[in-house]
Amino acid sequence: MHDYLTRLREMREKALLGGGQDKISQQHQKGKLTARERLALLLDEGSFQELGALATHDITEFGLDSQRFPGDGVVTGFGRINGRRVAVFAQDFTVLGGSFGTVQSNKICRVQDLAIESGIPLIGLNDSGGARIQEGVRSLAAYGEVFMRNVLASGVIPQISVILGPCAGGAVYSPALMDFVIMTRDTSFMFLTGPEVIKAVTGRDVTVQELGGAEAHSTLSGCTHLVADSEQEAIEEVKVLLSYLPQNNNEDPPRITPYDPPERMDAELDTIIPVEEKEPYDMRRVIEMVFDRDSVLEIHPYFACNAIVGFARLDGYAVGVVGNQPMHLAGSLDIDSSDKISRFTRICDTYNVPIVTFVDTPGFLPGVEQEYGGVIRHGAKIIYGYSAATVPKISIVVRKAIGGAYVAMSSKQLRCDLNFAWPTGQIAVMGPDGAVRILRRKEIKAAKDPVALEREFVQQYREAFFNPYRAADLGQIDEVIEPHETRPRLIRALEVLRTKVQLNPSRKHGLIPS
Amino acid sequence: MENLGFGLEITLYGMGLVFALLTLLWGFLAIVGRLDRASEEEIAEGAPPAPPVRVIVADAFDLEPEVVAAITIAVLTHTSARRRQAAPAMRSAKPGSQLYASRWLAAGRTRQTRGNVPPKR
Repeated sequence: MHDYLTRLREMREKALLGGGQDKISQQHQKGKLTARERLALLLDEGSFQELGALATHDITEFGLDSQRFPGDGVVTGFGRINGRRVAVFAQDFTVLGGSFGTVQSNKICRVQDLAIESGIPLIGLNDSGGARIQEGVRSLAAYGEVFMRNVLASGVIPQISVILGPCAGGAVYSPALMDFVIMTRDTSFMFLTGPEVIKAVTGRDVTVQELGGAEAHSTLSGCTHLVADSEQEAIEEVKVLLSYLPQNNNEDPPRITPYDPPERMDAELDTIIPVEEKEPYDMRRVIEMVFDRDSVLEIHPYFACNAIVGFARLDGYAVGVVGNQPMHLAGSLDIDSSDKISRFTRICDTYNVPIVTFVDTPGFLPGVEQEYGGVIRHGAKIIYGYSAATVPKISIVVRKAIGGAYVAMSSKQLRCDLNFAWPTGQIAVMGPDGAVRILRRKEIKAAKDPVALEREFVQQYREAFFNPYRAADLGQIDEVIEPHETRPRLIRALEVLRTKVQLNPSRKHGLIPS
Repeated sequence: MENLGFGLEITLYGMGLVFALLTLLWGFLAIVGRLDRASEEEIAEGAPPAPPVRVIVADAFDLEPEVVAAITIAVLTHTSARRRQAAPAMRSAKPGSQLYASRWLAAGRTRQTRGNVPPKR
């Protein structure tokens, strides 16, 4: 064999070992896979084409000249997931703790650029101890290059980040700028400042997992969209998530062969709304019954549980689903649920996924904390998201649609294409009790039996206004439908709207309330 | 009258011939049937009793029902997973392929995203 081939093969073999066999064993002992093992799980067999496998750093300070590893802590390249082209990078913790420096940045930026130009999704597997301190300010500039490309790619190609280990300091902003973040339970964490700094600054003791674990980010901060129990499960979730997304913002998501009859009508929908209007029911059950069997992928399932967002399929087509959840806070809208809904509507609009909205909300959550926390500007995001979206939009008023929340939740005036309501719908400016107290205050006060009179007025108000027929009469509701008809109705409506094209005024970009 | 007598005579011969042949055929079939029954009885006397009928889908592979059940569940789970991932075998249309079936939509998308080309670095 020629010497030049021998040399190349030796270098490639060294690159495959990352930081060496010892480091690989340590990684396995922590219950974690190596970067290459993760990519082997993620990509179709034999589809990976690596770029920059032999790149190394040129730093000589702090003894780094003796620690050069081909690839320099990240594996980058192209491959296929279920036959679809994707760009990938996987940080390699076995090489200097996956620390982020100039070479790693150059490699990641290279695949980012190629992904944007090729119009293919970008998947990042993060497992890095943070910036390579030995490189000084150069490592900060390196982060900046990646962040900037994350922004350029935003809304053009799907970007999915999987946190499979540490992700601390400035490194967190790359996942935060991507479309979806998936974290593994127990083995990953993400924070700007660690427990030691927090202890020094605030005096508060907190563990790494309490501060930045998957639990914290999936329930409290909302920084992660999905949580997996293992790395294998996280990688599986990437594949499932990708199945609802197109290759880029010009294309449509894949359609799968329909397997659930489009005319299926579930009679349970007719009785799922309790007779007692304050009694809750599970909106998830409604969604499960309407969409293709086992097709729902909920996003943010543990964050802002008073709202439900996720992807599903209708007759094999991908759709985005938004719903209020009466099981939590009676389905009212608050700061977090507003952020959750508005973000999701924008994702759907970006990637040409129609939005189906199930409305059952009594309004925005009252409270001093909510007002001080800016529920006005957060709630405005929902209006902004729905109004700006040009994809097909359909709403179904299931029960309550009251006040400003009715307007915000995909109402006719926000360019919703079709507005349906169930006979259980209650569309009004405010609830009957409050309305009667304002409208009939003087008469109630002057009555001999104010309680009885108030009850009578409430009943009158309920019959006159607190139903879907008034809104249907005015054209704000296109059709009042029987609940079990919802699935075929949606399928037929989306069939018509599939070629919808709507244009927004030309501008640099809108100013979303923030 | 002579023709009538001749006709009757021919008819008699013809029908007689047909009935004679049918009788011979019946006798031949009866003998074959008797021989066949005799050979079946001989085989039945020497053969072991037939096993009870078992409803096993893949008995050709000599698999236990539990194994068949496990394989069935594995196949269903795999199918479900492939469907959830929109794997090629489950796709009725590739991403974007339907877009190009509609010139209206393709042109509309272009108008929607015009001017949003990422800057070259």
